Amino acid sequence: MSNKALIYIELDNNKAAKVSKEIISHALHNFRGFNVDGIVLGDKESINAALDDLRELNVQNLFIVQNELLNTKNTSLYAQILADFIFDNRPEILLIGATEDGRDIAPRLASKLNIGLTADCTDLQIDDAANLIATRPTYGGKLMASIASKTTPNFATVRSGAFKYSASLCKCTPNITYITPDITEFIDNPKIISIDYKQVSEDWTCSDVIVAGGLGLTTKENFDLIYKLAELLKAKPAASRAAVEQGWAPQDIQVGQTGNSVSPKLYIAFGISGAMQHTAGITNSDKIIAVNTDKDAPIMHSADFAIECDAVDVINSLIQKLSN
Amino acid sequence: MTFNIVVCIKQVPDTADIKWTEHNTMQREGLDSIINPYDNGAIHIAKAIKKFITDVKIIAVSMGPLQAKDSLKEAIALGCDEAYLLSDKKFSGSDTLATANTLSKFIEAKVPDFDLIICGQQAIDGDTAQTPSSLAQKLNIPQATNITEIVDANDIYIELIKETSIYKQRLQLSYPALIACKVNSTNFLPSIADYIKSQKSEIEILDAEAINISSEQTGLKGSPTQVKNAYRPIIERSNEVLENLSANECADFILDKIKKCKV
Ligand SMILES: Cc1cc2nc3c(=O)[nH]c(=O)nc-3n(C[C@H](O)[C@H](O)[C@H](O)COP(=O)(O)OP(=O)(O)OC[C@H]3O[C@@H](n4cnc5c(N)ncnc54)[C@H](O)[C@@H]3O)c2cc1C
Repeated sequence: MSNKALIYIELDNNKAAKVSKEIISHALHNFRGFNVDGIVLGDKESINAALDDLRELNVQNLFIVQNELLNTKNTSLYAQILADFIFDNRPEILLIGATEDGRDIAPRLASKLNIGLTADCTDLQIDDAANLIATRPTYGGKLMASIASKTTPNFATVRSGAFKYSASLCKCTPNITYITPDITEFIDNPKIISIDYKQVSEDWTCSDVIVAGGLGLTTKENFDLIYKLAELLKAKPAASRAAVEQGWAPQDIQVGQTGNSVSPKLYIAFGISGAMQHTAGITNSDKIIAVNTDKDAPIMHSADFAIECDAVDVINSLIQKLSN
Repeated sequence: MTFNIVVCIKQVPDTADIKWTEHNTMQREGLDSIINPYDNGAIHIAKAIKKFITDVKIIAVSMGPLQAKDSLKEAIALGCDEAYLLSDKKFSGSDTLATANTLSKFIEAKVPDFDLIICGQQAIDGDTAQTPSSLAQKLNIPQATNITEIVDANDIYIELIKETSIYKQRLQLSYPALIACKVNSTNFLPSIADYIKSQKSEIEILDAEAINISSEQTGLKGSPTQVKNAYRPIIERSNEVLENLSANECADFILDKIKKCKV
């Protein structure tokens, strides 16, 4: 009998969330000797809307838990249903995306099952004894720690952008099993009074080119040039935490350990020193260009192309060329 | 009847003040410790409940080394009524599960008649928002995380706004319960009266025995997850260095690279 890895597939605006797809891709490619299964929870309407997308996922078994009460995203109910399922299904590995809801559900589930949880991982491997080795940044990103758990299932949450999603070549459709959850004992607390879904925000983290600015740009006016450049290049703007803390950029475009992980074809860092917490978010970029006046800044040792030059001058020159 | 609120607090290094050595390691000397800004926000939320409910008592708790006493004094200055420090060698090395175990044992031992637990959504020193939900489950109480606002509170329930990047919810939570708040602030200043009170206050220090926790449930022993290996992140990039170019030449170089990746 082969081992089972179960991935909780979060629904995001009636689609499988990007992070869930990334985890599945990674598991399919790397978890030798494991069946990769998925479980999704939702009300009938959202499940039906997501079904085509879910069929594409290439998991072996897809478990669909459908109940009308799941439409309000009551995370306690999600945790309870998942705990019941895991108790019966007994997977060896359990993975959840480290989204806001994922970070709410996962610790509750771990605590309920009395198992360990490694949070916010950036890599997952299987060791010779078929145990999960989950890697996460620690000490503010200065070190990577590989963590194993003594309890089963081995349980981890995974950062969005940690893995790349690649559509699998095999067009095998999953075996779908519908499950009616037993929620007779469920107490409706918290009681959800209303829920409003936000506009689907475009996912910018895997666009072709990302231009990012840091404290080296020295003023808000200079940072605004990042936006202008991004627009001209049809690229996306991004910022270091220091730039966000200055109020030059909103938190949504922060890159790094406490921001977004990005995976563009080209990441250009203007005036960013390259602290580990920042570079933790850019390792999946195909190519990295750093523009910095200090050739010994850490990022200058880790970029593909380290350009020793004044960032503002280079940006101005780029804008000028592109405007013509 | 008194409405008892427990606020969980973590002492963290003041990251706004972090200096890096040339080897990109954290310069620890001279680094101030502060209350995790989200926990500061949690105290603020606890105080906001006083607007809705008359007889409120706010109890702060922190698990950590003895120096975390300073943060608890500050918590009192910010308006908490009592504070406890859970400090014992046996607690060190606790992972999420062990931390939740320890905090739940404290609550059972010292504040069994609590109504509401308030945590900050996350700690800024790199922790990942695991403790609140884990603690709620250990105490077998409901939870609501990612809270941005209190709408109303009475002796039966509290009405809250929860906000994630995907949705915004309005919910009612009946007590006893736990909430994790996303209010991030270091700006709330103590009142003079609270500051004077804090100077006179005693922080009670509790060890494993005082909260009835066995060494199997806390610290390294009580932690199912274990670090197997730690290493510096490895960089595998070509690292071509371009020096002494004009801004114009640099711009041409960059445009060329952009063209290559767009086709
Ligand atoms: C727990 C924790 C989590 C964190 N999470 C993140 C995170 O998610 N993302 C993040 O980015 N940071 C994060 N940080 C902060 C991180 O440690 C750094 O402080 C931050 O990334 C520095 O931002 P910066 O590179 O813009 O600024 P600095 O480090 O100040 O670097 C500015 C750079 O600009 C260069 N420069 C100056 N003038 C010029 C010029 N004219 N032209 C070109 N270059 C110039 C300088 O040489 C320097 O290298 C975190 C820290 C902690 C403790």
